[in-house]
Amino acid sequence: MSARNDILSALRTALAGGSPFPEADSTPMLPVTRLDPDEDLTARFVAEVERVKGAVHRATSDDQARRIIRQLLTDRRARRVTMWDEAHLPLGGIGALLGELGIERVQDSNEAVATAEAGITGADCALASTGTLVLSSGPGRPRMASLLPPVHIAVLTEDRIVPRLEDYIAAQRAQRLGVFRSSSNVTLITGSSRTSDIEMHPVFGVHGPLELHIVLIENLG
Amino acid sequence: MTDKIERVMHPFSQSVTIALADIQLQTALDRGTTRGVSARIGAMAETTDAAALRHQARLARERALNRLPDLLEQLERNVIANGGHVLWARDAAQLNHVILELCQKHGVRRVTKGKSMVTEESALNHALEAHGIEVTESDLGEYIIQLAGETPSHIVFPMLHKTKEATARLLHEKLGMPLTDRPEEMTRFVRGVMRSKYLEADMGISGVNFAIAETGTIATVENEGNNRLSISTPRVHVAVMGVEKVIATWEDYAVLVQLLARSATGQRLSVYNNLISGPRRPDEPDGPEFFYLVILDNGRSRILATEYAESLACIRCGACLNACPVYQNIGGHAYGWVYPGPIGSIVSPLLLGPTRAPKLPYASSLCGACQAACPVEIAIPDMLLKLRRDLVQAGDPTPGWRIGMKLWAIAFRSPALYRLGSRLAGWLTRRLAGRKGYLRWLPPPFNGWTASRDFPAFGAPSFRERYARRATKT
Repeated sequence: MSARNDILSALRTALAGGSPFPEADSTPMLPVTRLDPDEDLTARFVAEVERVKGAVHRATSDDQARRIIRQLLTDRRARRVTMWDEAHLPLGGIGALLGELGIERVQDSNEAVATAEAGITGADCALASTGTLVLSSGPGRPRMASLLPPVHIAVLTEDRIVPRLEDYIAAQRAQRLGVFRSSSNVTLITGSSRTSDIEMHPVFGVHGPLELHIVLIENLG
Repeated sequence: MTDKIERVMHPFSQSVTIALADIQLQTALDRGTTRGVSARIGAMAETTDAAALRHQARLARERALNRLPDLLEQLERNVIANGGHVLWARDAAQLNHVILELCQKHGVRRVTKGKSMVTEESALNHALEAHGIEVTESDLGEYIIQLAGETPSHIVFPMLHKTKEATARLLHEKLGMPLTDRPEEMTRFVRGVMRSKYLEADMGISGVNFAIAETGTIATVENEGNNRLSISTPRVHVAVMGVEKVIATWEDYAVLVQLLARSATGQRLSVYNNLISGPRRPDEPDGPEFFYLVILDNGRSRILATEYAESLACIRCGACLNACPVYQNIGGHAYGWVYPGPIGSIVSPLLLGPTRAPKLPYASSLCGACQAACPVEIAIPDMLLKLRRDLVQAGDPTPGWRIGMKLWAIAFRSPALYRLGSRLAGWLTRRLAGRKGYLRWLPPPFNGWTASRDFPAFGAPSFRERYARRATKT
C-alpha cells in the first residue's frame, strides 16, 4: 500500500501548484475518418475490409450464407472447427452443417481449440469507415475462436454496420458502457494479422489468423 | 537495469561514430524510416482534419494529466470492480520485485510477453530469467531482438536497425530456418516456432497503450495477434503501465487510438485493438483467471511538476523517430537507453537524471520535424532547448565555452560590436580560405568543426550590407 500512497501523493504534490495545462474545453469531437453522409455503409465496409486483406462474402439469404461457409470449410479440408454457440450467431444450422460435413467441434481447452482449422464467430457490430469487426467475449462467445485457428470466419448481418468507431462508442455510452463492465474482452479486429517489423515491409499472416472471412448477410426488406 | 544505464555512460559521440560507419544499420534505417514517414503522412492527410484532430488528441492527454491522481484512483476502483488487482511500483527495481512475487505466487515457469517499452525500463526479462523463469518475447521484432541478445532500437519497430538479410542469417543460425530474403517466409517460420510457446505459458505480460479510467479497461494496440495470444491464453495476465497512460473517457480513447495507428504505421486502425476489463468472468469460456495491473512511477511524478510535463502526453507512436534526421542517421541504439529519437532525448535525461544522458538534448538540429509529426503536438524542440539551458545552469560547459558565450552575448546586444565582429570574421575567413572558399583548419576552440568538415568562408557582401543597400534602393 505504501508505494501506492507515495505515488499518489507525489502526483498530488506535483499538481498542488496548479494544473500543468489550461482546463480544456469539452466541445463535441470531430470523428477521425472521412465518410460522406450519403455514402453506402455496406459498400464502404466491404472496400475497407478488402484493403486490409480480409474477404467479404455477401449472401442474400441464410441458405446462401450456409453454402458459403460450407464452401470455405470444404476448400480448406477442415476436420475440426471451433465456434461460438449458435445462440450468438445470426445464422442457424451451423452445428448441423458441421455434423453433415463430418467436422468435429472442438471447444474444451485452448489446446483443443488450437487444433481447429477454422473458428466461426458472430460480431457485436462492424465499423464501415475502417473495415473493423467488434467482438465481445461472454458466455458462449469464446475469444479463442477468433484467435487460435488459422482461419477466422465471422458471420454478420448488414444492419450491424455502423459508420465509425466514434458511433460504436456513442452507442455504448447510451447503454452506460455496460459492455466494458460485463465483458472481460472486447476486441476490434481490422483485417488479417500482419507485421511490418522487417524493414517496415508489410507481411500478412503472423501470429493471429492468416485468413479473415466475413460472411455478410443482407437484411430482408 | 545496470547494463542499460551503463550504456548511457558511453560517450555519445563514440556511439554515433560507430553507427554512422555501420553499413547494415544505414541500409536498414534508410529502408525503414522512409516507409514510416510516407505511411504516416498519407494516413494523416486523408482524415477529416489532421490539424484539428491532433489538437483534439492533445486536449485528451492534457485532460488526463491535469487529473492524473484522481483518474488513477478511479481506474483502480474500476479494475477491482471488474475482478482484477492493482499493484503499484515506485521504481524499476520495485516493478521487477512485484512481478517476481506474482510469478512465485502463481508458480509461474514460463512467460510470454507482448510488446512493452515500460518493462524495458526495468530490464524485466533479465530479472525474471535470473530466477529461472523462461521469458519469450512474442512480437516478431522483439523475438528476433531477443534471439540476437539485443535491445529494441525503435519504440514501434524494435528491429528497425536490422536488414532482412541479417534477420535471415540470425534465424538460420539460431533456429535452423532455411535461408531466404523474403520477409513473408521468415514471418511464417517464426509463427510456427511461437505457437507452442503461447499454449505452454503460465503468465502473459503486456504493456498498456491506454487505460480508460471510467470502466477500468486497459487497451492494447497491435497488428500481429501476439499480444492477444500472450494475454488471453495463459492463466495469469499482468499488464504494466506508467502512471501517465491513464485517460478519462472512451471518447478520448477513440481519437487517441486512431491517431496512434495513423502516426505509428499509417493504418486507419491497428489490426487488433484489445480492450481488457479484468479477468474472465465466471460464466466466460476462456481467458485468464487472474488479472493484475501494475502501475509504475519511475520518475514520472517528478516530471509532472516541471515545465517538461507535456513530455508525459506522449503516446509512443514513434513518428518523431522516423521523421528525425538525426535518428535517420544514427538509429536507436546510439541514444543509449530505452527511448530513442527526439522524444527519447527528452525522456531519458528526465527519467534518468540529466547527468546520465548529458549529450542527448544536443542530438538535434532543432529542425522541428519531430513536432510537426507528433500526433499530440508535443513541443519537442522547445523542451530540448530548455534541457540545454538546464545543463548550462547546472555547470555543464567548460570555462572556455562559458566565456565564449558571454562574449557572444555582449556582441549580440550591441549593433556596433556585431557589425565589427562580422566584418572581422568575414575578412579573416576570406583571407585564410583556399581557392574554393573553404577553410581546411580552424584554431581551437573552432577545430571541432574542421575536424570532420571544411568551413566555408563568410560571403561578401554580408547580409547586413545587402539589406542596407536594398533598404536605401526602395
